[in-house]
Amino acid sequence: MPSAHIPSAETLQSFEQDINRIRDNTLTNVGQADADYIRNMIRFQRLLDLSGRLCMVLGFLHPLWWVGGVFALGIAKILDNMEIGHNVLHGQYDWMNDPHINSRKFEWDNAGDSGSWKRYHNHEHHTYTNIIGKDRDYGYGLLRLSNDLPWRPKNVLQMVYYWLLSILFEWGVAYHEVAAERIFFGKKRKHSSLPISREQLKKDFFNKISYQMFKDYIFWPLLCFPVFFQVLLGNICANLIRNLWTSTIIFCGHFTEEAHTFSEEECKNETRGQWYYRQILGSSNLEGPRWFHILTGHLSCQVEHHLFPDVPARHYPAMAAEVAEVCKKHGIPYNTGPFFAQYFTVLQRVWKYSFPSSEGKQQAA
Amino acid sequence: MTTTTTDRPAPSRTLWQRLARSLTQHDSFGAYFEPLIQLALPMWSTSGYRTKVLEVRTELPDVYSLVLKPGRGWGGFRAGQFVQIVAEQNGVLCSRHFSISSSPDHYARTGLIELTIRVQDKGRITPWLRQQFANGGWLRISAAQGDFVLPQGNGPVLLLAGGSGITPFRSMLNQLRAQNDNRDVQLLYFARDNQHFLFRDEFNRLQLDNPQLNITLLDNEQHGLISAELLQQYCPDFARRQILICGPAPMIALSRNILTDMQVPQQNIGFEYFGAAPIDQPRSSSDAALVAFRQSGINVDIAAGESARSLLEVAENAGLKPVSGCRVGVCHQCICQKQSGVVYNTRTGQYSDTGAGEIQLCISVAASDLVLDL
Repeated sequence: MPSAHIPSAETLQSFEQDINRIRDNTLTNVGQADADYIRNMIRFQRLLDLSGRLCMVLGFLHPLWWVGGVFALGIAKILDNMEIGHNVLHGQYDWMNDPHINSRKFEWDNAGDSGSWKRYHNHEHHTYTNIIGKDRDYGYGLLRLSNDLPWRPKNVLQMVYYWLLSILFEWGVAYHEVAAERIFFGKKRKHSSLPISREQLKKDFFNKISYQMFKDYIFWPLLCFPVFFQVLLGNICANLIRNLWTSTIIFCGHFTEEAHTFSEEECKNETRGQWYYRQILGSSNLEGPRWFHILTGHLSCQVEHHLFPDVPARHYPAMAAEVAEVCKKHGIPYNTGPFFAQYFTVLQRVWKYSFPSSEGKQQAA
Repeated sequence: MTTTTTDRPAPSRTLWQRLARSLTQHDSFGAYFEPLIQLALPMWSTSGYRTKVLEVRTELPDVYSLVLKPGRGWGGFRAGQFVQIVAEQNGVLCSRHFSISSSPDHYARTGLIELTIRVQDKGRITPWLRQQFANGGWLRISAAQGDFVLPQGNGPVLLLAGGSGITPFRSMLNQLRAQNDNRDVQLLYFARDNQHFLFRDEFNRLQLDNPQLNITLLDNEQHGLISAELLQQYCPDFARRQILICGPAPMIALSRNILTDMQVPQQNIGFEYFGAAPIDQPRSSSDAALVAFRQSGINVDIAAGESARSLLEVAENAGLKPVSGCRVGVCHQCICQKQSGVVYNTRTGQYSDTGAGEIQLCISVAASDLVLDL
């Protein structure tokens, strides 16, 4: 997709000031309420996690216990990864000085180790959002989502890859950085910016995977031995619920119909205002009730998340109204819509770029 | 092993820790359950001891004592040691170090300890603590730390106190009294004027009990700062004594210079900065700052008037290789533990707290002397 007409330098400068003002106003209100919020969220998540695992075991009384348990554990994993983990790892709560709630120490219930995730996600994806060739999250090197990438025959099947990626999302995320560093096969990256050794990277990858596998697929099922398969299957399902949900929300954030892409050339020496502008154009929001925002880890406010990645996410919905206002004032497109409508355009996009550009449009229509 | 953003090798884990890692993604089960336990026990933590504040007692208009009842498991202390206290201020866990001003004997008898604290001008924590805990409350303390204790044996001692640096000495003198230890102790206590001496009545009583204890109050208005003349006058036999100094940094520097000039061997001199809290004012650009990288043992001087450089650049210029990423404050990879000192955040335009905390090196500029974990 071509990039939009770039506003004048004056517009961008005044736009930058407006966005900064929103940020500063919000930051003055960050404090006790945010600390209480994240602690309560963590408490709720822990209770849900533990009760989910317990209810699953009670499935021998009635299958509904099992269903409820799986559902609770799935939601617990979603909260852990999205509203807690993702936001904590972005440094949104580092100011609390809490040894367990900060971006350096936090580890999530996910196959990807948080250190590796932080390296590519916080740095590459958030600095170079939607810049083709720099943002490896753009299509995850698996999907062709714009005409910036040449069409290849394998793209015909990308709807299938997309479903597979969604089902195995945590493994995809875990594999992402290791894959990009060509750790296992292929030629090595010439200019690796990796701040740790490749051996360490590999070790972290396998360590985290083994911890996760052991927990969900060996320890808990064995501990509840008489219902081994019941617990095993429940854990698989809970992980699946989480994978499908996170993948869906994340795809809605950057790959809706209106989300723009950028070239490296366009982004050289950009000002803060231009950076803000690119973040807004490259992201899209989802509308919904408060519980929906929480379950997405407030990635439903993807635009605000990209503008203010380290502002506590519970402020995003309020900030979104102000950001939309500022965008309107400066004539900058602001992409938002209801969840199902946005998700439908994601599927359309995956489908459309399965085919070479000219026919692509007809196919999609 | 999981957070790989530091180059330090992770300590190898025991089987139990590995199990906790796997099941809870935390290094201990306690850390996983901490938020739930805190519902019942506020300020409970896997690190530190949950402690009840019983009373805030005013000593002088600008000095108060916190009376604390340390929680179960706290291991006690030796007279002269300090603790780190952690309290939650507007969602932020703030920490400060204070000497314990009461004696170990007092703790043994009552289960209580006292921290005597001067309210810092423009300080963020010291005025707040007094208000916050006026009606009691909970905070967290560390195990007692420090080697600033009375020398072994019965030898004569000279104690030099400046301002609120008197606090560890109060603990020592009360402890000597409790142990009926009548060793020869001289205390020269400097304060800015006659109104600023702490624990006056208590010291009078202690002197009556022990003829070998001699306390001299010297106020700066009348006597000036510590000098060779004052030492000669009030403690002519200082050369044969073990000497302990506690007070603000300039007072310690001055005392040590004087003693060195008078040929007192270094091994006879002990000193402690914790008597006075660190300076709360940010560095003005006309001041120099010293950035101490603790793990590598490298110190970097930032000259007065030098243009502001990010601490990431300062560290890199010093030959260190801290992990870094975007260099504009987005990615949080260059986060580093600050032990003490004030930094200015160029992105938010805010000054940090003076105590321990995490900072982003790439958007932080030294605003005072700093100690960093690098």
